[in-house]
Amino acid sequence: MTGGAIEGPALWAVVLAVGTPLLSFGVIMVALRQRGRGHLAAGLSIAAVSVTLLAAIYLLISHWHMSQPKMFTVNWMVSGSLHLPYGFYLDPLALLMLAVVALICFLVQIYSIGYMAGDPGFGRYYGYMSLFAWAMTNLCVASGMFQLYVFWELVGLSSYLLIGFWFEKFSASQAGKKAFVMTRLGDVAFLLGLLLVLFQLGNLDIVQLDDPTVAAVMPPHLLTLSAVLIFGGIVGKSAQFPLLTWLPDAMEGPTPVSALLHSATMVAAGVFLFARLFPFFSHSAAAMTLFLAIGTISMLMAASMALVSRDIKQVWAFSTISQLGYMVMGLSAGGYVAGVFHLTTHAGFKALLFLCSGVFIHHYGTNDMFEIGARGGRQMKIAMACMLIGAAALAGVPPLSGFFSKEAIFAVLAGLDNPLWLTAGLLGGLLTAYYSFRLIFVILLPGSPGEAPAGEHHHPPPAVSAWFMEAPLLILAGATLLLGFTHHRLAEFVLQWFPMAVGEHAAPPWVVGTALALAAAGVGLAFWDFGRPGAARIGCLSGLPSLVRFLDQRWYLDRLYRYLLERIVYNGVSRICTANDKKVIDGTTDGMARGTLQAGRLLASGHLGMLQYRLMVMFVVVVLMALYFFLS
Amino acid sequence: MIVPYNHVLILAAALFGVGLFCSLTRRNLIMILLGVEVMLNAAAIAFVGASARWSSLEGQAMALFVLAVAAAEVSVGLALIVVIYRRSGSADPAVLDERLP
Repeated sequence: MTGGAIEGPALWAVVLAVGTPLLSFGVIMVALRQRGRGHLAAGLSIAAVSVTLLAAIYLLISHWHMSQPKMFTVNWMVSGSLHLPYGFYLDPLALLMLAVVALICFLVQIYSIGYMAGDPGFGRYYGYMSLFAWAMTNLCVASGMFQLYVFWELVGLSSYLLIGFWFEKFSASQAGKKAFVMTRLGDVAFLLGLLLVLFQLGNLDIVQLDDPTVAAVMPPHLLTLSAVLIFGGIVGKSAQFPLLTWLPDAMEGPTPVSALLHSATMVAAGVFLFARLFPFFSHSAAAMTLFLAIGTISMLMAASMALVSRDIKQVWAFSTISQLGYMVMGLSAGGYVAGVFHLTTHAGFKALLFLCSGVFIHHYGTNDMFEIGARGGRQMKIAMACMLIGAAALAGVPPLSGFFSKEAIFAVLAGLDNPLWLTAGLLGGLLTAYYSFRLIFVILLPGSPGEAPAGEHHHPPPAVSAWFMEAPLLILAGATLLLGFTHHRLAEFVLQWFPMAVGEHAAPPWVVGTALALAAAGVGLAFWDFGRPGAARIGCLSGLPSLVRFLDQRWYLDRLYRYLLERIVYNGVSRICTANDKKVIDGTTDGMARGTLQAGRLLASGHLGMLQYRLMVMFVVVVLMALYFFLS
Repeated sequence: MIVPYNHVLILAAALFGVGLFCSLTRRNLIMILLGVEVMLNAAAIAFVGASARWSSLEGQAMALFVLAVAAAEVSVGLALIVVIYRRSGSADPAVLDERLP
């Protein structure tokens, strides 16, 4: 499987798609960062991302029936026998992801005109957005793992910058740091895995890695080890089980950022990598089982955390982790198409959900869903309707997109020998339906509607910004409604020229039935707890206060990490490092400085004025030299 | 040439010795500078004598240069001494080490 070259208009389109955001980032950061030029920055950034979007759509359409994947590479670095190319690799997965990323970037940037209006950092915000768009598009079309890794880190950087965008808020800068450090933890494993592969294979081309012959070249234990290490990067980026606590904190960033990075695209980069290296990973059954377990644990854990959260964005953040867990489950159970399809639909409806909550947060200035409900959030009709669509898709209500993609994943899980995975997946479906409709009912059917204090009546935002914020909602809602029906065509597209055979089967009817029944049960339970008139509105879990506290504290994971951090890192490693720093490094430098000072003092004593003595010595020397030369 | 060149050289050497003695022993920067000037002029005399001895004009030209250099040197030197005196309140090279920062 070598593939053809990218030439002609397609090459131009790729270059435009991945190049213009960088240009816009540079111009904004150099010239348009100051206050007052924000609208220029926004215009430039949106123009750049529109170019990217058009190019991506052009590529997707022109390559819909591609005969083979296409490559274009140039030499980037050569070191000995190691060639590191920079290039583009266009296969169905890359094209699909590129289009999704470009579309969501475009919509979110349009939305941000309204959401971020009047922010002092407006220009800077769009600069970072362009940086992100550049990094993410390059990541999608990367031809080698090294290039992918570089842009992977750049994506992490722009995520850090955008989470800490309101850095004057302490919690935001802390959250940015936390996200950066935790994802870096996974990235170290990722890098080690890549190095392992590099030593074994001699290069890092994706084509090479996905080649079926890899299993013959690499010993099985090394293959498993490198797969697990690379998966470490996915765990960090996609906020899977051990490293999931950064994602809820990342909601400190502006809401459009949460919609773009922390739900639809950046965190999906982990799953994208999984799909990219799917043939490589599937050589190791042990690793795949481990991934399946991690995906399941993250999915259930995050879904249970979402049951009790009051913060509207936190609920969606937990649900993102949980849905990413579904994707990892689907992929590691062998369902390539199911995972990729869920990735696509999830990008649409999760961006929609975040953007809708952004409208509420923007209008009411609070993240608390009960407060939004009490102050009449239901009156914002478009946002409410779109959020309802998004939540229904999330819960897997037919005929929305989430239903189809979740069914695909359940179908794959049902094909496994062990029924445990399917049970866990279905249980997750129940939890998902409950927590998403809990949020909907809390806002849509508040117990005592519309009793906002008169003094706190918000003046509605200006019409233009409302339009900017609502148009993306409508587009995404449309996508959520329609995307589900493209399942088979998408599967055909994604599977053409795939290097290995992937079995895709329809879900058995009883699985679909159970899933639907559980989703309906979740919605019904949520209605009973929060929706019906006279409901207690505290949830059915409140009978178990310790469980509620346990979930509210996020399974004490944060506490545990904090404890470990203090015990092992602060008291162990950093103490030794501090001692080393103070005694050895500082001691050496101080000693050298002191030695220099002493030597200088010593020399300086010979440097006093003593004009006349010098003159005398000079003459004596000259006279002696004259005697020596003339008399000898 | 009436005066033998040896005598001129002896005069120059004596003058140089006087200048050297002045530079080395006096406790005032101005007097040291003066000593240097005297030494310069001793050299100039030797040049002029040599010019007369070998009937060549280069020696005299050199003497003129020496005068010009001496003039420049005195002006710069005196200016320096004035500054030093203003900053330290003394023109004694022995005490300058303590007084000048």
